[in-house]
Amino acid sequence: MTSALVRLEGIERRFGAVMALSGADLALRPGEVHGVLGANGAGKSTLFNVLGGLLRPDAGRIEVGGKAVILASPRDAWSHGIGLVHQHFTLVPRLTVLENLALGTRGPGGRPGAVRDAALEVIGRTGLSVPLDEAVEELGVGDRQRVEILKALLRDPRILVLDEPTAVLTPAEAAGLFDLLRDLAGDGRAVALVAHKVDEVLEVSDRLTVLRDGTSVLTCSREETSEAEIVRAMVGDDDVDAAALGLGDRAGPRGVVGQHESRIVAELVGVRVAGRGGSGLDGVDISVRAGEIVGVAGVDGNGQRELAAVLAGRLAPESGTARLPEAVGFISQDRSREGLVADFDLTENVALAFQRKAGFRSGSWLRWEALEGAAEEIRRRHDVQAPSVRTLASSLSGGNQQRVIVGRELEMAGDLLVAENPTRGLDIAAAAFVHEELQRLASDGVAVVLISTDLDEVLTLSHRIMAIARGGLREVEEAHRTRQGVGSLMLGTDDRNG
Amino acid sequence: MAEAPAQAVGRMRLVESLVLGAAALALTAGVGAVLLLLGGYDPMAAAAAMVRGAFGSWTAFTSITLVRSVPLILTGLAVAFAFRAGVWNIGAEGQLYAGALAAVWVGLQAATLPPLLLLPLVLSASLVAGGLWALVPTLMRLRLGVGEVITTILMNFVGIYLAAYMVHGPLQERRGVFPQTDALPEAGRLPALLPGTALHWGFALSLLLAGALAVALRYSRFGFQLRAVGASPEAASVAGRIDVGRILFVAFLGSGAIAGMAGGVQVSGVTFALYEDLSPGWGYTAIAVALLAGLNPAGVVVTGVLFGALQAGAGAMQRDAGIPASWVGVVEALVILAVLCLDRVRRRVGKEAS
Amino acid sequence: MNQAELVLFLEASVRLGVPLALAALGETISERCGVINIGLEGSIIAGALGGALGALAFENAVLGVGVGAVAGLLCALVFAVVAVGLGADQIITGTAVTLGGLGMTGAIYRARFGATGTELSLPTLAGVRIPGLAEIPLVGTALFDQAATAYLAYLLAPALWFFLFRTPYGLELRAVGESPDAAEAAGVRVVRVRFLATLFGGLLAGVAGAHLALAHTGTFAENMSAGRGFIAIAVVVLGRWNPALVLAAALFFGAASAFQFFLQALGFEVAYQIFLALPYLLTLAALAGWVGRARAPAALALPWESKR
Repeated sequence: MTSALVRLEGIERRFGAVMALSGADLALRPGEVHGVLGANGAGKSTLFNVLGGLLRPDAGRIEVGGKAVILASPRDAWSHGIGLVHQHFTLVPRLTVLENLALGTRGPGGRPGAVRDAALEVIGRTGLSVPLDEAVEELGVGDRQRVEILKALLRDPRILVLDEPTAVLTPAEAAGLFDLLRDLAGDGRAVALVAHKVDEVLEVSDRLTVLRDGTSVLTCSREETSEAEIVRAMVGDDDVDAAALGLGDRAGPRGVVGQHESRIVAELVGVRVAGRGGSGLDGVDISVRAGEIVGVAGVDGNGQRELAAVLAGRLAPESGTARLPEAVGFISQDRSREGLVADFDLTENVALAFQRKAGFRSGSWLRWEALEGAAEEIRRRHDVQAPSVRTLASSLSGGNQQRVIVGRELEMAGDLLVAENPTRGLDIAAAAFVHEELQRLASDGVAVVLISTDLDEVLTLSHRIMAIARGGLREVEEAHRTRQGVGSLMLGTDDRNG
Repeated sequence: MAEAPAQAVGRMRLVESLVLGAAALALTAGVGAVLLLLGGYDPMAAAAAMVRGAFGSWTAFTSITLVRSVPLILTGLAVAFAFRAGVWNIGAEGQLYAGALAAVWVGLQAATLPPLLLLPLVLSASLVAGGLWALVPTLMRLRLGVGEVITTILMNFVGIYLAAYMVHGPLQERRGVFPQTDALPEAGRLPALLPGTALHWGFALSLLLAGALAVALRYSRFGFQLRAVGASPEAASVAGRIDVGRILFVAFLGSGAIAGMAGGVQVSGVTFALYEDLSPGWGYTAIAVALLAGLNPAGVVVTGVLFGALQAGAGAMQRDAGIPASWVGVVEALVILAVLCLDRVRRRVGKEAS
Repeated sequence: MNQAELVLFLEASVRLGVPLALAALGETISERCGVINIGLEGSIIAGALGGALGALAFENAVLGVGVGAVAGLLCALVFAVVAVGLGADQIITGTAVTLGGLGMTGAIYRARFGATGTELSLPTLAGVRIPGLAEIPLVGTALFDQAATAYLAYLLAPALWFFLFRTPYGLELRAVGESPDAAEAAGVRVVRVRFLATLFGGLLAGVAGAHLALAHTGTFAENMSAGRGFIAIAVVVLGRWNPALVLAAALFFGAASAFQFFLQALGFEVAYQIFLALPYLLTLAALAGWVGRARAPAALALPWESKR
């Protein structure tokens, strides 16, 4: 029996009134890949940050190599051999790759020459090739992820912890990453993979730990468990809607809407747009009919934001034509920045969009009673957990904020709804709610474009699927309607020039 | 340049802003007293002299305190209006000079017009000139992406030197003795508001404007759009489908126009002529006035009168207690810092509690 | 204009450019880590008064500069506590510090020297002539027969450039200004870096103020900083947050301020108010024409709080 390299026991951490961790345990052994699973909000990220010295636990014990330690800062974590690969990139965009690698390595090791040598050595060993002198902002998402991993490996950690590393990768890239992780574990390191997708973790892990409500509810080896048991542990409820976890029927509602029966609501032909920090759109064609959900799958940074902006009427094509309806609802993926004003109450956040609608204004004046009524209606119908419509948006949870946005934009979407990663960061219940609303809207005859990096979400909800890669959009044929099929189109590898 | 975050102070209910304002004043008084003690002065004597100077008699209150509050209320409104939209107009000082200059120039050029025409013309000229003075920073921000903080401050200096040049040169009084313009004709002056005092109609005008702005921000569609842009330009653009550039343009020029009117009202209500150092820095004091009011137009009236009293009392303080009038600048700074600190503490406590 | 007048003009350009350079170099460091200190003006005026009082007390101009530096630092300390420590808005905090600095120096000055402000006569910083270099035709005396503070500016520009772009500490500082969250994740103590950089900026602004009082005039007057703090901030933008370019931009604006001597020598009759406005107008024009191509640190003026 090998003893653990790192052991966390009874970790607790509170944020205001929220108990993010309430007695989490985790032990990582040398030579293993250890999956840490949990639904959104289960405490995975908090645990990850505790391991990395970014958050201090309120209670609990952390042992490294059998000795109790305090991880008060990232430096402490490194000095104990713990390396982190963050989900949200912690790279500085305007600095070069090399400068990013050198960041935080003070003393003689901070000299660019020494860092370069060390980086080249790790690159030679792992095959993680990245252009060292390029500014990070010039790199694609996959490259940035490699830089993150390289950064962690440069310190030669005995324990490597990765937070949702596949979120920005295509299935093929993810497979390559898993190979690397197994190699690293093979050298006697402990590798922990924090994730929410069960099949992924099962694919790569030797052992796994499941978190629920901030507590470790299951720890076992891969052989001892099953997908079903893990899901039950994650959800803590036997009759949960399996589809919400992406485990249900991935066939989706294909063919429900007859292609020729309903009218085309929105259409882009040959639309080109310059990119803003990613690829733009490079001659995109798409037509959306009333009553159908068109899913657009792709890895972040391939033109999704631009596509959403053009469809929502917020960005004019540089060439090509866009025929769009009047009444478009838009659910932005950037909930807190673009979807809501944090310092406005619910009524004002509803008014934000409704101030354009007839019936809510008379001349230059807003009709606040009507707006307050509409906000009240949204709060009731969409079950927004808020004391009143006077509650500030900033004091709502992410899920409740999204309920407000969805409720509002459904009202705006007379003809078309554009939804951009509408369930990102939501817990299972909130995600399921959003999915139901999208389906209901479509069945009411509204055209829906669902742009998502979550392949399972797209497969589950869409009548038709398109894959977006490097600014190009391609229809996925029925025969390719699988994770692998769509995934290869997302890579954009077999591009035949239209 | 990167834009500063939109909100100077967090969202507050009326009660909260009253409590915050009172606490800030108490903090200012405390720190100010300690500083005075360190300087070897008697804080109580200073306070007594100040209160006497500002509120000691009906004449002192109306003819000094309220008269001095008028430019502070107007520039305070200009700053509050801009800050509400997320426009960092630190340029009220220069806009005020531009307004004063235009008012005097137009008033002297059209001196023969009857009062019914000349007075509105004089005030409109100041509005337009203040707006135009804000146009350069506005265009630099919206067209070239140059942050307005520095450009508005630079325009202040240009405005001050322009006024100085005019009163020494082209617009100098015909006698050619003092560096000041000729006085506005009777028809271009604001009439007295209270008989027997120096208080002029500009005070009523500033109350009217405060009320109008308060109503517009609260109930009008434009006011709501402006608040949305100030609170979050991204959300205003995406969720609100609001043309952010247009709102910023109007808010910036509007703010400049109000500050310009402060200059126009001052020359047509009090000095009747333009001279160097017309303003003791009202455009900067206005920031304290607006912040202490929580950027609420109605509150600006109250804090404007408060700062008017401070300036009125400063003279008495210097005379009776021997404390230099420059001290007012320190008090203004303390008020701003106190509001900022208390607001931060309030928000941190709020975060802990929720 | 003859050669002697040209030399005079160049000498005045450098003399007027040095305080701008010192203040702007300090501000470059604080802006590189995301702090825009509009209170620089307050630090400069505090440095001027501190320099004057220090020089009087010690009867020594160099010690006066030291006192001025401390006074500038104290002003920046107030700014740093409120804007960096508490995370309040930088623009408004800076405006308050400037207002307070101008008011406080005025009050102290009047308390010390009477309401009218008796004409002060202070020990001045002696010119230090660099043998050899000062013999270079035209620019020799302009550049190398200056107060010691000028040489401080010359040396700081390359030193700060090296610090920013060639040392791990400079890298960390730049990372804080670009992405404080990323810097924190890399183990950088963001608030401490910002605090120290702001204090450094205040220190140099204090030296700049002392230079105004002790190298220029040998006297102190209320509001004698005359907006140099704001021009220095614009100079940082024009110098694209690069110490070497910042020094050049500061000297250029020194020349703009010295322009009146130049034109007077040529026999032009222009009102002096126009000359006084010239540096501000030039700054505006330069910002309009130039800044579009320069990129400020991404986190400039954004308050930051650790999420821990």
